[in-house]
Amino acid sequence: MCIYPLWLLAIGVGIFVMLDYQNTRGSVGAIPEHWPSGTQLTLDTNRDTLLLFAHPQCPCTRASVEELNQLLAHCDGRVAAHVLFFKPGNFPPDWTRSDLWRSAAAIAGVTVQDDVDGALARRFGAETSGQVLLYNQLGQLLFRGGITAGRGHAGDNAGESAIIALAAGQNPDSVQTPVYGCSLLSETCSRPEAVK
Amino acid sequence: MNSPDARAVNGTDASSARIAELFNEQRQNIIRHTDRLFSWLMIFQWVFAVGVTFWLSPRAWAGVNSQIHPHVWLAIFLGGIITSVPVLLARTQPGKPLTRHTVAVGQMLMGALLIHLTGGRIETHFHVFCSLAILAFYRDWRVLISASVVVCLDHLLRGTFLPQSVYGVLSASIWRSLEHAGWVAFEVAFLIVSIRKSLGEMHLMAERQAGLEAVNENIEHNVAERTAELAQERLLLRTLIDNLPDSIYTKDSTGRKTMANPADLKNLRCKTEAEAVGKSDFDFFPKEIAERFWGDDQKVIQGEPVLNREEHFLDEAGQKCWLLTSKLPLRDEDGKIVGLMGIGRDITERKEADARLEEAHKRLLEVSRQAGMSEVATSVLHNVGNVLNSVNVSSSLISEKIKNSKVPNIAKAVALMRAHESDLANFLTQDPKGRQLLEYLANLAAHLTQEQADVLQETGSLANKIMHIKEIVAMQQNCARTSGVPESLSSVDLVEDAVRMNITSMERHHVKVVREYAEVPPILVEKHKVLQILVNLISNAKYACNHSGREDKQITLRVANGAGRIKISVTDNGVGIPGENLTRIFNHGFTTKKNGHGFGLHSGALAANELGGKLLAFSEGPDRGAIFTLELPVQKPTTNL
Repeated sequence: MCIYPLWLLAIGVGIFVMLDYQNTRGSVGAIPEHWPSGTQLTLDTNRDTLLLFAHPQCPCTRASVEELNQLLAHCDGRVAAHVLFFKPGNFPPDWTRSDLWRSAAAIAGVTVQDDVDGALARRFGAETSGQVLLYNQLGQLLFRGGITAGRGHAGDNAGESAIIALAAGQNPDSVQTPVYGCSLLSETCSRPEAVK
Repeated sequence: MNSPDARAVNGTDASSARIAELFNEQRQNIIRHTDRLFSWLMIFQWVFAVGVTFWLSPRAWAGVNSQIHPHVWLAIFLGGIITSVPVLLARTQPGKPLTRHTVAVGQMLMGALLIHLTGGRIETHFHVFCSLAILAFYRDWRVLISASVVVCLDHLLRGTFLPQSVYGVLSASIWRSLEHAGWVAFEVAFLIVSIRKSLGEMHLMAERQAGLEAVNENIEHNVAERTAELAQERLLLRTLIDNLPDSIYTKDSTGRKTMANPADLKNLRCKTEAEAVGKSDFDFFPKEIAERFWGDDQKVIQGEPVLNREEHFLDEAGQKCWLLTSKLPLRDEDGKIVGLMGIGRDITERKEADARLEEAHKRLLEVSRQAGMSEVATSVLHNVGNVLNSVNVSSSLISEKIKNSKVPNIAKAVALMRAHESDLANFLTQDPKGRQLLEYLANLAAHLTQEQADVLQETGSLANKIMHIKEIVAMQQNCARTSGVPESLSSVDLVEDAVRMNITSMERHHVKVVREYAEVPPILVEKHKVLQILVNLISNAKYACNHSGREDKQITLRVANGAGRIKISVTDNGVGIPGENLTRIFNHGFTTKKNGHGFGLHSGALAANELGGKLLAFSEGPDRGAIFTLELPVQKPTTNL
């Protein structure tokens, strides 16, 4: 009978590790409050512009792409979306052409492009795959954060709800959410960092 | 209303206990089976989880660097931990409540792990509901409760402390958790209903099975009893078969012995049944006898029974042995003939007795015939005696007449005339005596003439009686001389001959004879036998009339046709025959006469039988007369005698 406490303890530890990993927030860099000038990206002046920074090989970002798909469906064309895949400069082009790329490219109204050596990520302060930024037509930052409830976890989440509300001209409960995903630029996964 | 469990457990009689036993046994089988199912399912889930992580999230990345994704380790280790104990219990302690509850907890935890590993996909949440449905296989609603508790605890704890991870919001209401729990409860509620219904059906099946078992047990008991009875009967039958003096055996369709009792083994000159079984008659008997037996066997195999066939063979001493054999086909359940059974009775002694009896019968017949003839002879002699009495009477009459004759008076008249010889004329005319003498001589002459006529008449009668005696004797001699030779004779003549042999006696006793003769064809018979019968019948009829004391004694003789037979009947109005005597009147030695021997009617009946006919007696009772009818065929049939 002594096996049961041990078993439950081991499971508890495992679940704790699992939840800890799932809820470990990614790092966030210095995100510009206004659309930075001199970028290769063009701000859409007719509608809000959404940027999703993604690591092409990060399995956690699959949930973010799925949520993006649902989010854009709710926004009904009121948002211009760009998915920027980190690509080391010395890597072949097909490194970014993963299933994640294909999934993102398949979403209607989404522009998918390489972010060579993470230049745009750095420019926009994105350090974690799954980072989403929303700017309005005037280039003002409306939302920053992730659109998943946990690392690689699909489903309802505060970030998605906030963007849908913003695109609809409503005020969301929060305009900043944690980002869950692999580190975009660093050698190791993003370390926990307090939400700014 | 009690639950099936309660009803099963609370059974008070043997049937209820058996129902409970069957119910629990079936339920335990289902639980054990479900334990085994889950042991494999959980191993499969674990492998699947690992496979899913290798497919969906094999590596975690940081820029251009990567390492094995923590999901892989989670799938391997946490999945392994979750799987290990339930599988271990399911394998080592199947059927125990703790095992299935552990399985339920593990299954729900595995669901949570899979949801996590697949990125919270809504589709993976189906695992929870599918698991509940599969857990319902246990047919134990408590297991569903354990599983539901795990789900609810997960949602309550994470909804409270990590709402984002489960509801995607930073703060969630308790009602959100209750909503999720409600859907689980919704399914569980229906599963519990289904489980209770299923348990009810199981209980019903257990009741039916218990009922069938009871019936089966009863049948088996009856079969066992019947089998024992059959064994006893078989033993009894075998004992009877083995101890019967008759030889009893069975053969297969090829004529080989399959069973033989000691009596048969003796005929086969075998000491044990094993020596006879498997062998045919050709192994035991000479070829010609075996072939005859084999021919009979083949008829029986073809479906034609052989009944009461007398067969013979030679025993060890070379003595001829006789068997009265019956052979019948043996059939299987489908009616197909598969062999035969035979019963052979040793009738050697009987055959020898028959031979001795036949010889004795022949001797008896001869004696009877002689006895019958003796009766006839007695009758003849009786009649001859009667005639001789008449002859004696006639002789006495003649003698008396001669003794009392008036002839001496002639001498007196002559002497008187001689005394008056000298004056005879004067004496005859003048003397008064002389004148009377002439008158006397005239009367004497007339008297002597009458006397002569009387003597002549009596002498004629005497001659007739002597002739009658001659005829009777001649007839008797004729009967004896023609013995055994059939002749074509007139029935009426035969009757008349028989009458003649009795007529003197009947006349003496004033018995009236009435004749009613129809036109009938001649019959081919042995004369002496028919006369033997008829003389006896007429003699008996006369005797019956004579002893009746009545004045109108009468015998009616009839000859008539009847369906190819001649019927000769002798009817008297004499003393009659009591009913009890009618059945034994033809028995040897039976008689009602003071000086009778009981041979007459007995030998008459035998003679009638020898002639192919029969002798019948009828009487309405004492003092009502009797009718004896001799029926004879027109053509003498072939007889066995």
